[in-house]
Parts: sequence; structure tokens; C-alpha cells
Amino acid sequence: MKSSKFIYFLVFAFASIGFLFNSAEAQTKLTLWYPAGQITAGAAHFSDKTLFTDFEAKNNCKIEMIEGNYDTLIQKIITAMVGGDVPDILFVDRSWVPGFLKEEVLEPVPAADAKTWLGKVNPEIVELSDYGKGKMYGYPQYGIDVYGITWNKEHFKEAGLDPEKAPKTWAELREYSKKLCKVDASGNITRVGLAIRHVGHPHGVVHKFLWGFWAGGGELVTDSKALRGGEAKFNTPGVKEALQLIYDMIYVDKSTSLNFPDPRDALLKGIASMQISETISIQARAPKEAPTLQWGVALPPVRKAGDRPVTNLNSWFYSVPTKTKNKALAWKAIQYINSEEKDYELCKKFSSTPRYKANWAKDPFKSDPYNQALVKMLPYGRAYPNNLGLNGIMEALGAAIQKVWHNEAKVDVALAEAEALANKAIKEAAK
Amino acid sequence: MPSARGRRLFIRTAKEPLQWFHRVTRFSGKVVLYLLVLAVGVIMILPFYWMVVTALSPIEDITAFPPKWIPSHLTPEHFQEAFHKAPFLLYYRNSLAVAIISVGCSVLFGLFAGYAFSVYRFPLQNFFFILILSTIMIPFQVTCVALYVLLAKMKWVDTLWGILAPNFASALGVFLIRQSIQTVPTALIDAARIDGASEIRIVLTVVAPLIKTTLATVSMILFLNSWNDFLWPVIAINSVNLRTIPVGIALFKDPYHIEYGPLMAATVISTGPMLIAYFISQKYVIKGIALSGLKG
Amino acid sequence: MAILSLSKKPSLLIHRRYQITAYFFIAPIVILFGIFRVYPSIQTLAYSFFRVELLRGRFTFIGLENFLDLLSDTIFLKAVVNTLIYVISIVPISAGLALILAVLFNTHFRLKEFFKAIYFAPMVTSTVAAAMVWLWLYNPQFGLFNVILKMFGFPGQPWLMSSHQALLSIIIFSIWKSLGYNMIIYIAGLQAIPDVYYEAARIDGASSIQQFFRITLPLLAPTTTFILIYNSILTFQVFDQVFVMTGGGPAYATTVVVLELYQQAFLKYRFGYASAMAMVLFLFILSITIGQYAISKRKEVVY
Repeated sequence: MKSSKFIYFLVFAFASIGFLFNSAEAQTKLTLWYPAGQITAGAAHFSDKTLFTDFEAKNNCKIEMIEGNYDTLIQKIITAMVGGDVPDILFVDRSWVPGFLKEEVLEPVPAADAKTWLGKVNPEIVELSDYGKGKMYGYPQYGIDVYGITWNKEHFKEAGLDPEKAPKTWAELREYSKKLCKVDASGNITRVGLAIRHVGHPHGVVHKFLWGFWAGGGELVTDSKALRGGEAKFNTPGVKEALQLIYDMIYVDKSTSLNFPDPRDALLKGIASMQISETISIQARAPKEAPTLQWGVALPPVRKAGDRPVTNLNSWFYSVPTKTKNKALAWKAIQYINSEEKDYELCKKFSSTPRYKANWAKDPFKSDPYNQALVKMLPYGRAYPNNLGLNGIMEALGAAIQKVWHNEAKVDVALAEAEALANKAIKEAAK
Repeated sequence: MPSARGRRLFIRTAKEPLQWFHRVTRFSGKVVLYLLVLAVGVIMILPFYWMVVTALSPIEDITAFPPKWIPSHLTPEHFQEAFHKAPFLLYYRNSLAVAIISVGCSVLFGLFAGYAFSVYRFPLQNFFFILILSTIMIPFQVTCVALYVLLAKMKWVDTLWGILAPNFASALGVFLIRQSIQTVPTALIDAARIDGASEIRIVLTVVAPLIKTTLATVSMILFLNSWNDFLWPVIAINSVNLRTIPVGIALFKDPYHIEYGPLMAATVISTGPMLIAYFISQKYVIKGIALSGLKG
Repeated sequence: MAILSLSKKPSLLIHRRYQITAYFFIAPIVILFGIFRVYPSIQTLAYSFFRVELLRGRFTFIGLENFLDLLSDTIFLKAVVNTLIYVISIVPISAGLALILAVLFNTHFRLKEFFKAIYFAPMVTSTVAAAMVWLWLYNPQFGLFNVILKMFGFPGQPWLMSSHQALLSIIIFSIWKSLGYNMIIYIAGLQAIPDVYYEAARIDGASSIQQFFRITLPLLAPTTTFILIYNSILTFQVFDQVFVMTGGGPAYATTVVVLELYQQAFLKYRFGYASAMAMVLFLFILSITIGQYAISKRKEVVY
């Protein structure tokens, strides 16, 4: 009996020691949420399950990458946060960040790491990362959306225009559009000169009009870096001219139309000659959907010759919620995936634009024509303001644009109304 | 009238003008009927036709201009992509599990509750009934957060129970079942009571068979609702192995652009079996209606 | 088998001994609903009187301020108007068409089963999936609808692109989607009408049209009431198709109450405000339901 008791004791002892060792080595599990989709270029790498293997091994953790439907993702995030069931890493649309910041649910990047990052990346990435005085709330993803004018070179040739030169001013844009649009026997437009975006989410409408808005001297909010305060400036002569320009193109020139809902689709299908939107869409989709399309990309046109061009930038964004329990590890993982080496590796793999100055100097980025075209455009890019009321501002402006182009309101009235609503949103958000 | 038949018709109908009138209207009525049914039928089916065609068309056809009604050649590529990208069998299993459990519970609980509301009189009866009905009057978009918080506390998030939580019972089910139990003659219930049957047995063996059609109809409606439920599963589920079909299909949608090929393939994969199951079960539903339907 | 009959109950069972059983029988439903449906709804009611900062966990009591803000919110008011137009257009038309089709399907003709299945097919798909299909069908350049119109020589329509046609386009979709469901209910209701009545009428020489108006319609009244009430409740809360097809635009032409509510809650983080909207909607739905029920009670017919 004594011996069997002893054996039991030994077994128990070993078992408990083994158990102790196991708990000491217990794996931390991190979850990363990202939006699903084939084209979301910046998220393409999440479908590779071995993405974090090295990191997982070194840090004894497991990173679970969970895709969610983009349309309902924000609702899901908020509900999860309220329920206390928070993911550790969020990969979201950067334009959602002001909303999150307003509710104080994003963790700031540790100051030292922020400083290092800001020193090593391209200026447009600095623009997207800096939330005021070097403070960062996350890391913008490679392959940023920069908006530019893309055009069909063959259509240009056909109309007698230089296929390598995009229209530089608004007047030229209007002229080109008239020359490029095609009408059939009964007067229906079969091809628009410039395709415009006027339906769908108001934010999208604004994004694709910012070239005109900013070039016209409008401001979504004065002081774009500040989280609170400032005013919306919509009612400037330049903005009015821009809105009126498109309005005239629709109803007077009839060189564009409301019947071509998605400008990117329209260009790819050959029923539009020009459009202004994120260039990455055409770059990613043309090979599959329009393999014979010869297209050019350039900065959008300015109000008058000699004006400084301006365009908008946006990106996807890595961030860490404040309520997660694994902050340090989460930041480590984000920094791992956004290191200079990974940046190079992934950008090369997915044909995308890198962020580090050092990587831009290397091939293939150095010599790729699309990337080189972008390099010329990026310095003129502006990020959306950081103001906590951004959602309200965009919505007000988007509605105004839609109303004008749908002939539901006059330019002055619509802009004044939108400005009032936007200022209201700014005040609300500052509370 | 030239034909022999026509002459006979004429002679007969000369004697019975009313009958002739009815014959003609019945015939032309039938033609109009057919045309109407056909026309509306085409409208009903057109979107499905397009859905299937797109799922089978090569990308060039989908993005072609002018658009193509009939694909130039059938491509399995979208289906391959859909199956490759998403574990549809897993989604099916989950959707089925959720649907069967929630419909089963709803019908069972609804049966008893409907019986109670119909047959008994008890204090607060109307209050409870209206309470149950009013739960469908507040949009789910706003109650989902409070529900999620509750489930998070119960640790039911990202579990099968979490998905089922708001679906264990159905207000619609209770209502319809109550209404149909009201037509059951109390004589039968009284007789069963006299025979010494317990209430539970009465519900299950006397009442339920009599309202078979209602139960079948309710089951079908609730099953479809559960199968197509999107908003709640999307919020309540994170892990891949709990995803239901609508959640899975939504992942085919890209923020920048809708890729119709794979999306339609995914939709066909999810809707197809349902339609087939429906076609098959149609026969039994019809039989059920026919057998038990002719009650006075 | 009558699905619906709002006629008097055969006899009242006032036996005390059954009261406990009654409570047992309704317990599962009441408890489950109580926890998972009623409790969140009551929370929503409570939220409507607060400024709710869910993520920060901060609740400030502001009384009726949310409701007052609603009254001056032009976008919300447009949403209400759109929702009312939507409900008034869809519910009667869908119910009416479903009734006619159900009567049609009660007669016999070849391929009846086949057509019946086709008519029920839209019910089988999820609203979201079907809306995405229709989004494409409505495309002014590539969509099937404009292709067909052009085939017959009509000009293509902007459909969802125009602030004048967008709401109509969504209404057409919703009617298509709800037809099958309403038909099923009506068919079940029709089966419940005893043939005896029709035979008697035929002997008396009544035409089919007379039979329809004198027998079918009145005896279907409870079914019709149910369909109208239930469809109204659901239609007031329309969300999925608007969300997928237009997102509320263009220029607020299609925004509906639940969509506004959703945007306020999840894009503007004004959860209290959104709850207030839900409450207003609830009151609308409740009053219309009670109204419809009261009217239906007066028109009851029992043979």
C-alpha cells in the first residue's frame, strides 16, 4: 500500500509540475479584425494564414485574423466594444478614426515608436499618421488611396487630344469632356466625357469631389489636424464654381450624366473617358476587367493655370482599442507587420506602394510606371481632417453636392445649408 | 358560326343564354388567367435568371457593354472561386443547426403558448399577449446593442446559444397558432379531458394534429426567416466555424466594388438547395392542406 | 382550416385549475422574450431620455431633449415622410395583388404547382442578396430592366440614380419580395372557406365576380387584417434593401427611419437620439396597428 500511495503521489507531483509549466507557457491569443473583399488591396495579405508565423513563434502567441463584412463592420466593432468583447487589433478605414477618437476608444501609439516611424516614412504617410504634434493613433497601411484623374488614352486619340496629357484646368476639363462624349442617334449619351459619382454613401460623393472642393478654396474644417473646434468653409466662390461646373456639364453641355453610377466601372467598361477617384481601383481591376485598356493617371485639374494641384489621400489603418488586455503585444504585432522589411516584401508581392523612404529607392518601385506616376502626385495629397465631427461634415457636404447635381437646390442655398449643418456637427462632436 | 361544334354550341345556347355566356367568359377568362400568370411569373423569375446567368458567365460577359443575356460560354470559375474562398458546407451546417433548433423551439413553445392564450382565461392574459406582439415593433438595429451586452455578460457571444438567443420564440408563431387553435371545437378538448388526458397530452395529441397546416406554414416561414437572418448573426459571430450562410455571402462584398460573379455564385449556392427543398416539400405541404383543409 | 378567425371563442374556460397550467404554458415564451427581447427594448426606451455615450459608458439625463431635437431634424422628418409613402404604397398593393393571385391559384389550371413555386421563390432568398441582384438589374447602363425597355423602344430610366425614381424603384423591389409570402397566407385562408358556400352561390346563379365580392372577400377579412397589420409592422421598419441599394440617397430621397436611426447610432454615436427615433417609430406602428385592428373588428362577418 505504501508503494502504491507513493506512486500516486509521484504521478500527481509530475502532473502538477507539468501543469504549472503549461500555464507558464500559456499562449496569448490576439484577434485582428479586418474588412473582407477581393479588391481591398491593403487587406489582401490577411488571407495568408502564415503571415504572423514568425512573430507568433517568437512571442508565444496566436494571432487570429477575422474578416468581417465592410458595410456592417463599424456596427460590429461598436457593439463588441460596448459588450466588453474587444478585438486586439483593428484594421479599419482611416476615415472611421475620428469617430473612434471622439469616443476615446483608440490607444495612442507609444511615443518613442511614433517618433521612429515618422522619421522613416514618406511625407504623405506622415500626413496620414500624424494626429497633431507627432501623436499617432495607429499605422496607415501600404498602398494608400490617392485620388487622381484617370483617362482612356484611346478615346483621347480618337478625339484629337494628346493621349499623354490630362486636362490641367477646369476649363480644359469641360472642353475635353465635350469633345469626348458620344451621343447616339436618338440623343442618348452612350459615352460620357467625365464620369461623376453622385449616388451611394454621401462620404463617397465627397471623396470624389474633393479635388474641386479643395482647389476651390473650400475647407472641410479650418485647422485640419485638430480634433475639436474649427469651422466648415463651404460657401466660397471657388467651390460654387466647381459645383456649377459639373452641373453645367450635366445639364448644359450634356457631356456627362447622372446615369453612369460608378465612375470606375464606367471607365473600365469604356463608357467614360475620364474619371476622378482612387487610382488604386483602376490599377487593381484593369488587368482582369479591361486588359486592353490603355489608361493614364495624373493629378486632377486645378481652377486656373498656375494653381497648386491638390488631391486627397486615404488609407486603411491599424489601431488598438483601449479596452483590449494585450496592448503591448498588439502594438508589437502591428510594428512587426509594418516593419521596413515587411513593407518591402508585401508591397512587392501585391504590387503596391510602399511607405518607407528607403523602400521607394529600391526596385521594383523605382522603375514601375504606375508607382512613378504616383510619386509625382503624392506630395500634393491631403488627408481628411482629424476633426471628431468628420462624419457629420462629410454627410452635410455630400447631401449638398447631391442636391445640386440632382437639381433639387441651387448652389448657394445648398452650400449654405450644408455649412450650417457641418458647423453643428463640429460643435456636437466637441462636447 | 362555321364549325359543327360552333353550330351545336349556338343551338344549345340559344336555349340557355346564361350558360353560353358563362362558357365564353370561362374560356376567355382562362386565357386571360394564363397570360396574367405567365407575365407575373416572368417578372418573379427574372432576377433569379439573371443571378444564375451571372454566376455562370465569364467576367468579360458580366462587364460587357452592351450586356449579354446569354453567356458566351458557361464558366465554373466563379463557383470554384466561391467554394475555394468559403467553406460552404460548414456554413450550411451552421445555418441548418440554427434554423432547426430555433424553428423547433418556436413552434413548440408557440404551440403551448398559443393554446394557453386561446383556450384559457387567466389574469394579465391580454397584457402578456400584447407584450409578446409588441416585441416586433421595435427595430432590431437599436435593441441589438443591449442584447449583445447582455449576452457578453452571459459569455454567450460567439457561441451557438448567442445566435439563437433572440430566436428561441416567435411572436408571429404565437399569433398564428393562437388564431388557428381558436377554430378547434372545444367539444373535442372537453371530450379529451373527460377521458382523463392531461393538458399537455391534449395539446400534443389532440390539438396539434388538427392545426397541422398552420404548424407547417409557420414552420416554413420561420425556417426561411432564420435561414436568411443577417444582422444578428453578423454581430453575434466572430469565428469562422460558426458562420451562417448570409454572413458568409456578405464576405464576398468588397468595400470598393461589388464583384458580381463570385457573389452571385455564392448566392446561388445558398439559395439553390433551399429552392429545391421547397419544390420537394411543396408536394407534402399541398397534401397536408388538401387532407386537413376541408374543415367546416 | 381557418388560419384566422377573430370570431368569438367557442366557450370560456374559467376553471381556476387551469390558470396555473396556463402560466406554465406561456412561461417559456414569456421568459425567453422577456430576457432577450423585452429587456433590450425597455433599455432602449430608457436610453431615449439620455445622452448616451455607450463606448465611454457615460449617461447624461436630458429628459425630452432628444425628442425635441427630432422635431426640428429635417432629415428625420424626410425619413418619416419617405417611410409613410413607402408603407402606404407597398402594403395595399402587395396585399391586393397577393389576394388576386391567390384566388387565381385556387382555381385549376395546368402547371399550377410550377407557377406557384416560381411565385414563392423570392421569399426564399434573403433580402440582402435579392437587393444586390436588383441593384444590378436597375443599373442604367447594364441592368436588365433598361435593356428590356430599350428593346421595346422606350428610353432607359435612371431608376436608383434619380432622386425622383429611387424610392419607387425600392418600392417595386419590396412588392416583388413580399408577394409570395402574402400569397401563402391568403391561400391558406382561402382553403378555410368551405366549398358549401360557393356551391350554394352557384346554385343561386351568382357569377364568379359576385362570388368573389360576396363570399371570398368578407370571409377573408380576418386574413386580410392580419396581412395588412403584419406587413405594416414590418414595412415601417424597412432597412436592408435601402441600405444595400441606395444608402438613403440620392439627396435623402430614400432615407427611412430605421436607416437614419442606424446612422445616428453607429456613425454618429448618438445612441440616445437613435433610441428616441426608435420610440417614435414604435408609437407610429402601435397606433396604426391598433387603428387597423379596431377597423377590422367592425367589419367582421360570420356566416
